[in-house]
Amino acid sequence: MMDIKIQLIIGVIVVLALAVIVNMIRKKRLELRYALAWLLVGISILILDCFPYLIDWMAEQFGIADPVNMLFFLGFCFSLMIIFVLTVAVSRMSIRIKQMAQEIALHEKG
Amino acid sequence: MQKMTLRKIIIIPVYNEEENIERTVESIQKNALDFDYIIINDCSTDHTRKICEENGFNVINLPINLGIGGAVQTGYRYAYEQGYDVAVQVDGDGQHDPKFLEKMAVYLQENGVDMVIGSRFIEKKGFQSSAARRIGISFFSILIKILTGKKITDPTSGLRMVGRNVMDIFSKDYPRDYPEPESVVAILRRNLKVKEIPVIMHERAGGVSSISFKNSVYYMIKVTFAILIERIRKY
Repeated sequence: MMDIKIQLIIGVIVVLALAVIVNMIRKKRLELRYALAWLLVGISILILDCFPYLIDWMAEQFGIADPVNMLFFLGFCFSLMIIFVLTVAVSRMSIRIKQMAQEIALHEKG
Repeated sequence: MQKMTLRKIIIIPVYNEEENIERTVESIQKNALDFDYIIINDCSTDHTRKICEENGFNVINLPINLGIGGAVQTGYRYAYEQGYDVAVQVDGDGQHDPKFLEKMAVYLQENGVDMVIGSRFIEKKGFQSSAARRIGISFFSILIKILTGKKITDPTSGLRMVGRNVMDIFSKDYPRDYPEPESVVAILRRNLKVKEIPVIMHERAGGVSSISFKNSVYYMIKVTFAILIERIRKY
């Protein structure tokens, strides 16, 4: 069983983080299409945090002794996933910027 | 304001519509005489650009692919900067029948509304989309009703006509992808008037839809979040 203390700490942190993200989308400082992954990860972690027996069950399946480590492991996997998606997005953007710069240069040349 | 003096423009966002674009423009020139048009070619990879240029169509070619939202917004910016009074979005795939444009324009002027949407689901005639899509559409319809108190039967309709005030709003701020339901909520939240009139839509003549089954889960999640967040924005 996960300690109620760590459950509370994780819960508070995730709720605060979600509030910050939603507020930034609201103020249009964050685009929803990029923030969506963060929102879904936050909500998933919150659900797992609220129903710790899900974590217990998964930890058992994975052979992890302390269930809270299962949560950290999942968080780590989610983070890697988001970082990878961002890398893809950055690559796509650099291609698009190059394309646009070439277009403008060709345009200027006439 | 006199009816005859209004300048009206049709915005046609296209991406790989080589099969449909000529037919769409012909239909506009035949059925919507009072309207100018502008094609926004969203960096198509087929012969859309060549066909537009050979036919001397009025076209803006985007240098990179912006997605439907970015393309339509380019159209609204053009319409606003060129001083048009009314702008209407017509998809380039032949789904929207230009016959209804005059009726929409008259409705917009006579009732003093800010946005008129052509809805498939008022008279339930013509192409009604697949059952799965209709479920998705009514979900958004109910969500919008709960969040804004207004009934929009066809929030995903791309056939929408707006006046200069909404053109101004859209040219500054328009969602990037899957923009329709979210932008309707943004207009309703500003206490502007949105009305729907019945139209008949056709099944697309050729090409592929922008929303495949693979994307539909993402579509539902993204648009739901977008509408919820739109609800808590302040204007």
